Order: sequence, then C-alpha cells, then structure tokens
Amino acid sequence: MARKKNISLDNKESCIRRQGTVNNCEDAYKNYHRSKFCKLRAMASTVDHHPHRKITAAENPKPITPAEIESEFSHHDASVARINNGSFGCCPASILAAQHRLYLAFLRQPDHFYFTHLFPAILRSRTLIQHLVNARHLDQISLVDNATTAAAIVLQHAAWSFREGRFRKGDAVLMLHYAYGAVKKSTEAYVARAGGNVVEVRLPFPVTSNDEIVSEFRKALERGKSHGRRVRLAVIDHVTSMPCVVIPVRELIQICREEGVDEVFVDAAHSIGCTDVDMEEIGADFYTSNLHKWFFCPPSIAFLYARKGSASELHHPVVSHEYGNGLPMESAWTGTRDYSAHLVVPEAVEFVNRFEGGIDGIKKRNHEGVVAMGEMLVKAWGTHLGCPPHMCCSMVMVGMPPCLGIGSDSDALKLRTHLRDAFGVEVPIYYRPPQEGEVGVVTGYARISYQVYNKVDDYYKFRDAVNQLVQNGFTCDLLD
Amino acid sequence: MTSYMENDTDTHRNGAADSNHHTAKKPKLTTLLPISEPLIHEEFSHHQPGVARLNNGSFGSCPRSVLAAQSAWQLRFLQQPDDFFFNKLSPAILRSRAAVRDIINAEHVDHVSLVDNATTAAAIVLQQLSRRAALGHFNRNDTVVMFHCAYQAVKKSIEAYVTPIGGSVVEVQLPFPVRSDDEIVSEFKKGLEKGKLNGGKVRLAIIDHITSMPSVVIPVRQLIKICREQGVEQIFVDGAHAIGSLRIDVKEIGADFYVSNLYKWFFSPPSVAVLYCKDNSKNVHHPVVSQEYGKGLPVESAWVGMRDYSSHLVVPSILEFVNRFEGGIEGIMKRNHDGVVKMGTMLKESWGTILGSPPEMCASMIMVGLPSRLCVMGDDDALRLRSYLRVYHAIEVPVYYQALRNDDRDPRDKDGFITGYVRISHQVYNTIDDYHRLKTAVNQLLEDGKVCSGLPKE
Repeated sequence: MARKKNISLDNKESCIRRQGTVNNCEDAYKNYHRSKFCKLRAMASTVDHHPHRKITAAENPKPITPAEIESEFSHHDASVARINNGSFGCCPASILAAQHRLYLAFLRQPDHFYFTHLFPAILRSRTLIQHLVNARHLDQISLVDNATTAAAIVLQHAAWSFREGRFRKGDAVLMLHYAYGAVKKSTEAYVARAGGNVVEVRLPFPVTSNDEIVSEFRKALERGKSHGRRVRLAVIDHVTSMPCVVIPVRELIQICREEGVDEVFVDAAHSIGCTDVDMEEIGADFYTSNLHKWFFCPPSIAFLYARKGSASELHHPVVSHEYGNGLPMESAWTGTRDYSAHLVVPEAVEFVNRFEGGIDGIKKRNHEGVVAMGEMLVKAWGTHLGCPPHMCCSMVMVGMPPCLGIGSDSDALKLRTHLRDAFGVEVPIYYRPPQEGEVGVVTGYARISYQVYNKVDDYYKFRDAVNQLVQNGFTCDLLD
Repeated sequence: MTSYMENDTDTHRNGAADSNHHTAKKPKLTTLLPISEPLIHEEFSHHQPGVARLNNGSFGSCPRSVLAAQSAWQLRFLQQPDDFFFNKLSPAILRSRAAVRDIINAEHVDHVSLVDNATTAAAIVLQQLSRRAALGHFNRNDTVVMFHCAYQAVKKSIEAYVTPIGGSVVEVQLPFPVRSDDEIVSEFKKGLEKGKLNGGKVRLAIIDHITSMPSVVIPVRQLIKICREQGVEQIFVDGAHAIGSLRIDVKEIGADFYVSNLYKWFFSPPSVAVLYCKDNSKNVHHPVVSQEYGKGLPVESAWVGMRDYSSHLVVPSILEFVNRFEGGIEGIMKRNHDGVVKMGTMLKESWGTILGSPPEMCASMIMVGLPSRLCVMGDDDALRLRSYLRVYHAIEVPVYYQALRNDDRDPRDKDGFITGYVRISHQVYNTIDDYHRLKTAVNQLLEDGKVCSGLPKE
C-alpha cells in the first residue's frame, strides 16, 4: 500500500492559481507536487539541507582498499589497458547498483515515482553539486545530460540575443581552436546562423607556459573587437579535449572582463573530479562539467551553472511543462525518460569519500600518477610531453615516436584502432601537423589518463606495444 | 472506422518485403505456442504487486526480457566504451531504425530518426518552423493550428518557438464526449478557417493521433486530406500513444512529421520515440548539436553527446517479445482494444454513466464517465480523486474533469450531469480484477455518500 502523504492542499491551490488556467488535470497534479518541491527548495537554499555525509572528506575509519577498488571496477574489460578515462569516464559497481535500484523503483510504479520521488531526488543532486562547486545559490545549478547539451542551451541563448537585436550582426563569439567538435558545430548552428561572427583563438601545441595561451587569447580578442564590434560571448575550455591542456581560465576571464566581453561560458567537460572547480573563484557567467567523466557517475549527467540564476533567461531546447519556470525546473523534466543517472550524486559523493583525502586526494594522486607514467613513456620512446606537468590534470599528452609516421587525423584514428585490436590498449591519439620548416618532429600524441582503477601495468602495456611497433618498422600507411 | 479494426490477416506489415532491412518475423506457429498467462505475469513481475495499474498511457510498461536486453547493452558499453562507441553503437541504432521503419511503413530508413520522446520531437519540429520564420517568409497573420487538448508540453514548445516570432495559435475545440468523427472534422474545418483569416496561411497543423486527455482517436487521414486541400503548409502528427495501439502507415497518413513514443504501448524501456520526416532533406535538426550536425536528423539524433543509448537499441528485442503473442503486435492491439471496451462498458453499466467516445474511436484506452454524485467539479477534484484511489485503494488511474457545455448535449446520469471521467487502459498485463477493483472503489464512495471535495487530504 502506498504511503500516506502529509501535504497541505493550500500549496497546491496557490500553485494552480500561480500557473493560471490549467487545462488538464495532469498539469494541476504536477503543479501540486511542484509546490512541495518549491518548499523543499526554499529550505535547501538557506540551510545545508541534506542528510548525507559531509562533502569534504571525513576521517575515514578505513579507506577503500586496492582489492575493493578492483571489485568496484570488475566490469571493465580486463584484457584492455584502459587509459582513456577522458572520453567516456567510469562508474563503480556500487553506484551502478544504486542507479539500477532507482530505475526499478520507477518501473515498479512510475506514477508514484514521478509524483513523489523524482523531484526531491533531483533537488538532492543539485544541492550536493552546489556545494561541490561553491555556487552561491541553488538556482544557479541545473542538471543536464552532458556538456554538449549545456553548450546548446548557452549558444541558443546567444542566438536569440542576435535574433532579437540585443547583439548586433557581426558581433563576435570567441572560442578556442581546440574547442570540442560538438561545441564548434553548436556555435555554427546557433550563432553563425543568427549572424554572429565566430573568432577562433589559435593555441600553440606543444605548449610550455600559460603566457603563450594568454598572449594568443588577447590577440583573438583584438580581432573580435576590430571595426568597432563587440565580443559578446567567449567560450573557453577549462581542460581542452584534444590536445589536452589545462587552460588558465581565471586569468582569461579577468582579461575578458577588462576587455568588455559580455559573457563567458566555460566548457569544463572534464573538470569536476579533475581540476579545481570553484564557481565564485573562477567567475564565469556559465560553466558546465560532466559528472560521468571524472566524478564516477553513470552515463550521463552534467551540471550547468548560470551566474545570474533564475535571471539568466536560459532555456532547455526540449520544452516541456516546466517552460518558463527557470532552467533548473525545465531541465528536471524534458519528457518521459530514465532520469536515474541524475539521481545518484549522493552515492558518488559517498564513493569518493571512501578514498583518502576524498575527491581532492583522488585528484592529486591521479595527477601525480599520470605525470609519472607520462614521463616514463617519453623516456622509453625518446619523445616529450605536450605540456609541462603544471598544465595538466589527470591526463597528459605523450609524444609518439615520429618513425610511426602519423601523418593525418585519419592515421591517428587508424593507429588508435590498431592499438585496440592488436594490443588491447585503449588510448586516443592526436595528430599535430608539422609547422612550416619543421622536419622529423613528433606528429602524434597519445592522451593518457590516470584514474583510480589504473595500474602501472596498463602503461607498460602501452609502452611495450609502441616499442614493438617501432621495432617491427611499423608505419601508419601500412594500415590501409 | 479506425484502422486497427481492419483485417490484417493477409498482410503482416512487419514482414513488408525489403531485403535490405531487418524485418520482424512472424511467430513460427508450427513450433511455438503463444506466450502463456503465467509467463506474461512473470514478464511484468517487477510491477508493484497489488496495484491495479490502469494507467499504461502515461508511462507505459516494459517486460523483463526487454529490460534484460537493455542491461546487456549497458554492460557492453561499460565494459569497453570506446569499442562500443566506434564499433557497436551505430549499427545497433540502424537496426532499431530499420525495424521501426517496417512497423510504420516509412519509404526509407533515412526518414526515420530515434529521439527520446515526443516532447523532443515537438521541439525539433517547432525549431525548424522557427528557423523558417526567421528567414522572413512568414506574414503577420500566419498561424499554427492545434487541438485545445494538445499535450501541454507541445503547447509550451509553441510558446517557446512560435510565439516569439510572432506566430499566433488557433485552438480547435475537441468536442467531448464525442459521438463521431464528423464532429471532430467539423470543428477542425472551423479551426482552419480561423487560421486563414485576414489572408493568413496555416504554416503548421499539429494533429494528435490519439489525444492524451481526454483520450480519443482522431481521424487523422481525413483531417490531413482537408489540410492539403486548404493549403496548410506542414502537418505534424503527434502520435505519442499510437505505436502499439493502432496501425500506423505514415505513407498513407501523409503527414510531414509523425512522432510516436515506443515506451508507452510498444514495450520499450524509457525512453525512445520514432520521428518520421517525410522530407529527409537536411533542414531539420536535433537541438542538441554534436559533431554529427549537418548529416541529417537520423545521424544527428544517434549521437547527442555522451549518454546511455541502450533504450534506443532494443527494438529487435521488443519485436521478439511481441511476436511471442498470438498475432504479434496486431493481436495485442486487438485484444487490448476489445479488453478496454469490454471493461469500459462494464464500468459504465455498473455506474450508470457513459463512455466518452464510441468504441471505434478508441484504441487501448477509453474514457469512462464517473457518477455525477461524486461531484467532480474541477481539476482539483479530479486530482484529489486520483490521489485517493492511489493511496487508499492502490489503483492507478488518471481522472479527467470536463466542464459542461451548457447545451442539450451535456451528458447526464440519473442523478445529474457527468463531469468526471477516468481514462482506463488495457495492456497485456492487466486482469479483469484490476477493473473490478476500480468499479468497487467508486461504488463504495457512492455508498458512503462521499464527494470529491470531501475526500481525505493526503
């Protein structure tokens, strides 16, 4: 028998009045439960409201053991040296189990789940994230599927601004040349189409210092502002994907403010669980990061932070009943779907707190691990890292021996496939075209990751595979 | 006459000949018996026991064997996601799309995209309308025509994408209770006239195939014919409930866009829907833009960033499931229809009320009038009753309030005017007992002299 609920009907009535005429009873019913949700939310924004453990790592009586870690990731294919956590992340078995329980609860009695459990659970996830990322207000935090969706939301907003004349045609949107492919396409689809001028910041790679990045960024800002135009939006990666480098976002945002850029959107797909993520300190207008990459959540969940909160006028492109009630509400319901991946943030926080030092401890050890492994590899191959250790987080670009003959993006992909199929090594490879005058340089870089489940053997396997390829006189053009 | 009643014994559409595509197989009657009642019960044993689940329309249902197939896909991804992404995902999506292509009789798989749900499809269709309007081809008096009872999310989508560009909306009243297709056709014609006032053009007509609340099967083919005659530019059929409820032939229906959710009546997990686009040119886009942008909606929709796509991959497993039933999906549709009509009739006779539509205007759901003595006087009352039934009787059924028209057509029972209806559904897991419990619960309320406003607060 279902539990009885103790809800005042006054809230329901006021909600219905607030919503105006309700043309079907389902809406009224949902509004009624929204009012309960609103109450919880009001509480949460003033008090640290969740009954779970503290966000910061408590003193663990017994940190998680290597055997337990192995067990948590025993569903990973053991025959693969999995050194690409950056692309698809990972999720421990205990969190998958929690997700599955929530999924089954929905299937068991979906109406009851929808009306009773879903929205409070979303609120719990959002509240935890708010604290994790030091956002001042809960309504600054929305849950979306992934950074790709967040980008569509922010760029659609920019497109409307162009269409409605707030931005003039020809005003610029700045982005990094190494911006993620999807974000580039989204900019093309939304901004360029609406009359915005897209300006790319060319970044050097390999890179040796933040100054190089800052310098190129300033040049691009100048280009964007030329002929009396304004730069309306700067899209900055916190950690570029390929090639992978940590960008000095704080510094770049400060420059943006000095140079009159209207808004800054940080695409930090990798950041949470990888770099520091402090909304107040970073100071962006919009910030997104995937929790399924480095924060152990199942596929897929990301947060989108909007500095102006409910005044940001962002909308989810999939419009549903909640349209106009603020992005957090709009994103919490985009039609019937499986929302279970959005509901296990409490479990993810519990998981990271089983490790010594919590998420900060994990980040530190991942960084040290990937740098150590990267240096081991470049020493073995006689190459170099793509950036200095302080410009990487849990991933680093490792130069591949030039004799492998990586001569194009296609070669890089083929080599990646070959490493997977012939050697059981999963690692993405980046093609870096030689600059004018460069001869015999490194043209391929592997982006290695380090996550809690990795072992030194994973990287030895990679080292040995490449050594064997070199020994056999392998070149990429043999892969046709 | 709605299509599900047509004699389907000669042509099994799922087996439509096209050797390029995966086709659903008819059950091998020589070797297999149809699925038994105990096995059906087992397939849905994850449903909460003791709940009379009469609301399949809202969230659908998914059998264990399909959930198991979904889990298997999820595991493959988790085991080696890169290999999954590069080698397994796209072919699996294509297989699902091809299977759905057969079911809806689309001319080619390129016209078939898989999206999360009808809400997403509505955003896609309305965004393209918005983009066309932005190119400046529309006039001030142009309109979008839709039923007044169109799904709320679709209405909000219009508010988001059409209203800002200056488009106005004409709402067609759905007569309810309804007695014949002609009543609907007549109202729709009026709506189109209104849409064309002052030299305006109807840029888009949104037509439900089966309305949600109140639930009625709409004569879409007839309405579309009228639309074409009246120069309506685009037609979007919201068939959210349709697939697995009634036969869909998108070529025959002739809409520009047709969407249906597979998780409502076609046993898929949450969630996946099919969006058919008659014109498979590249002007329609998924709002979540990825690297696949510009390669056509099917390809764009197959990758909207990193997510769990497993619910999109199990269509072949669903076909295996439905083909364990006698007559496959057609057999299921027929028995659901017959069952819901029979149970609806049983209820209305016990309560002394009416059905909201004649049997031929329903598929697997039907609206049954509630006794006037319950005094369903508004949406709050309807909600209160729904809650009461869930909490005190473990019956899940949506309740609908229909205001009176104040004419001689207002439905009556012996005690007064009928203003409340339950929307009952029938799916393969339902038993007669589910409906008897509803009958008894309502009769008990009458016996106790209860009215909606007097029901216990939760």
